[in-house]
Amino acid sequence: MSQPLLEFDRLRVDFDLPDGTVTAVNDVSFTIYQGETLALVGESGSGKSITSTAAMGLLPELARASGCIRWHGGAGDEDLLSVSRQRLRAIRGNEISMIFQEPMTSLNPMHRIGRQIREVLHKHTALRGRSSHQRVLELLAQVGIPEPERRIDSYPHELSGGQRQRVMIAMALACEPKLLIADEPTTALDVTVQAQILALLKDLQARYGMAILFITHDLGVVRHLADSVCVMQQGKIVEAGKTDTLFQSPQHSYTQMLIAANPSGRKEAVPNSAPVLLKAQNIHVRFPIKKRLFGPNRYFEAVKNIDLTLRRGQTLGIVGESGSGKTTLGRALLRLVKSSGDICFDDIDVARLDRAGMRPLRSRMQVVFQDPFGSLSPRMTVGDVIGEGLRVHQPLLRRAERDTLVIQALEEVALDPAHRHRYPHEFSGGQRQRIAIARALVVKPEFLLLDEPTSALDRSVQMTVIQLLRDLQQRHGLTYLFISHDLAVVRALADEVIVMRQGEIVEQRDTASLFNAPRQTYTRELMRAAFLESTA
Amino acid sequence: MLSYTLKRILQAIPTLWVVITLSFFLMHLAPGGPFDGERQLPPEIEANLMASYGLDKPVWEQYFTYMGNLLQGDLGPSFKYKDFSVTELVAQGFPVSLELGLWAISLALLIGIPLGVIAALKRNSSVDYMVMGTALAGVAIPNFVIAPMLALVFGVFLAWLPVGGWNDGHWKNLVLPVVALSIQQIAYIARMMRASMIEVLGSHFIRTARAKGLSESEVIFRHALRPAMLPVISYLGPAIAGIITGSVVIEQIFGIPGIGRYFVQAALNRDYTLVMGTVVFYGGLIVLFNLIVDLLYSALDPQIRYDNE
Repeated sequence: MSQPLLEFDRLRVDFDLPDGTVTAVNDVSFTIYQGETLALVGESGSGKSITSTAAMGLLPELARASGCIRWHGGAGDEDLLSVSRQRLRAIRGNEISMIFQEPMTSLNPMHRIGRQIREVLHKHTALRGRSSHQRVLELLAQVGIPEPERRIDSYPHELSGGQRQRVMIAMALACEPKLLIADEPTTALDVTVQAQILALLKDLQARYGMAILFITHDLGVVRHLADSVCVMQQGKIVEAGKTDTLFQSPQHSYTQMLIAANPSGRKEAVPNSAPVLLKAQNIHVRFPIKKRLFGPNRYFEAVKNIDLTLRRGQTLGIVGESGSGKTTLGRALLRLVKSSGDICFDDIDVARLDRAGMRPLRSRMQVVFQDPFGSLSPRMTVGDVIGEGLRVHQPLLRRAERDTLVIQALEEVALDPAHRHRYPHEFSGGQRQRIAIARALVVKPEFLLLDEPTSALDRSVQMTVIQLLRDLQQRHGLTYLFISHDLAVVRALADEVIVMRQGEIVEQRDTASLFNAPRQTYTRELMRAAFLESTA
Repeated sequence: MLSYTLKRILQAIPTLWVVITLSFFLMHLAPGGPFDGERQLPPEIEANLMASYGLDKPVWEQYFTYMGNLLQGDLGPSFKYKDFSVTELVAQGFPVSLELGLWAISLALLIGIPLGVIAALKRNSSVDYMVMGTALAGVAIPNFVIAPMLALVFGVFLAWLPVGGWNDGHWKNLVLPVVALSIQQIAYIARMMRASMIEVLGSHFIRTARAKGLSESEVIFRHALRPAMLPVISYLGPAIAGIITGSVVIEQIFGIPGIGRYFVQAALNRDYTLVMGTVVFYGGLIVLFNLIVDLLYSALDPQIRYDNE
């Protein structure tokens, strides 16, 4: 534990862009010791990924690195910024290896996974033929891929995200590296899968005695995995120390903010006497998977016979992992996908209405989607995006009146109304999500479907959006259907929760009792994976 | 795979039907007829000829007769080449056109792909600008301009190569028409290859390949080339269609006895059956090549499999 393995010494990375130089990493110094796990923590744009790619010599072409990255894992001490390309290639994948955030796209889609792992062995070891095949099988078994003999010939698209990340890990461990750089390796995965991958990494670290540089924005993960932590903000390290000390007494205000930024607060339950706004029975959604020329089509049952009731002013949280049917259910309730079953909105039987019949109701039920980057038209000004709903639902409004309402909506979400003539790309993720909320609010809805509205945002930004949603609900008596995979956010915002899995309801209860005493194993598993068990 | 192929062939039938029907009526709408020559025929003889080929009947009746014959595989007699059926003429010209087309498409791939790769690897350098500038010119200049220019420079001024003729496919006679026919395709393929190579080089699995410690040439040849070629493969269908239509012009300019030349002459002579015959043949060919390209695509990309189960 005491031998230094990799030392970053006043690392600085500049990007030469057409309109000037941007410094992404500035004066970063820290040391990873043999066998330890060091977490590099920060929000998006803090420079944590750039720092790690600099060590691998994988910086983008426009980047210039200066300073020193000393590697003690090879024959002598070397500076990774100045070693020859040949030496660097001998280090990559062999002495230092790396896994990435994007398990879905990090494997070559055209090569079988066995070949991709074997490639590393052929590059860096003398193993060939049967012995390399044997080693690949051994690695696949070690990372927990079932039936390695069969899977070795799979293509990446035949594996799930979690399995692909396991293959990436097998590839990274093939040559028993001294250091593994893990760049947000679990961010794209479901929480239960994340828990499995983290456990696997810990286990393999013990077996191979390697050090791990773990890059993440998720403090929950850090607390459970890392020996020491470096907190990065805007390209600089603002605080570093042992994990326990840092979490107990954070010194820097940014660290304090990050730790405090875990969603907090609770929603008061609405009384049972509150009027019912939305009532759905036997909601069933299926998609054809295979259209066949002859014979019956085959279907995927996305949502299976779900009943739910939403009272005015209530927030119903729907929690589930990817593929659980939560988004499909939400869209079915708004008649955005076809479903069978009864849906009653404010005593109107909406399941029988056609598109034209739904239109007058659309202003009363609005949606905010997950992706703040994709869901705003890039060619419309923010004012036009927000005003478009008014054009449809209140066509008689005059331009000036519409403008007034747009300004009001922007003020509601705490954005400067003067910015309404700008385009979406000029705003940050959090601001765009505010714009999306303003777009929904401007037509004065009673019901909002919030489909993972905070998932693409940094924790500290998430907090402010949650607070905003809470304020708006109080001010306008809104009813929310809040869909999320993030239990911490749901706990902070919802007064009742539905846990979904494979299109069915696993557990449905009020938030407090669900989190305090989950009845179902699956719910408990989800909570453990999200590191929520201790704080309930 | 088999059921996919069958489905595609079934889908091609309405496409071909529309093409045939449109061409048939458009052609009959054009003024003149097959027996209007410089030498006016006596009216009785012309009437006899018209009657014997069924051209005195209403157009819609001719259409149904033609379609009926077509379904039995009979493309009819040529009006101009009196002793030949259309099938015989197509069978005679096709091997020549095929040879020309295959050489052209091979040349386009052999030159276009490496050019695109080089431009992508040296992007924003003088090499890149030169390749892309030339490619832009290649796309912009039509082949009926390039062909006479080539003939003028290499055939007349330098006298290295014959300016025309087929000479049973002697290589010297092939060079100029093949080059003229492929230049546009080389340009398209190079531009496409450059764009897709740049995209693939920026993808995550290329970063993984580099992180494994592979050398740059291993990264490019083992990991980047095949995925980068996919857009080019799917462009092969339109490329082949482009070469076929291009050959109509090129064969005319270089005096090559392929079907393209028959097509042009037949259209000018209102040789109805021969025009229709070439349309049917070309249409079928394009459909066939598009199918082959799609099947090839699935062979290259494991994520695309046209299986039923």
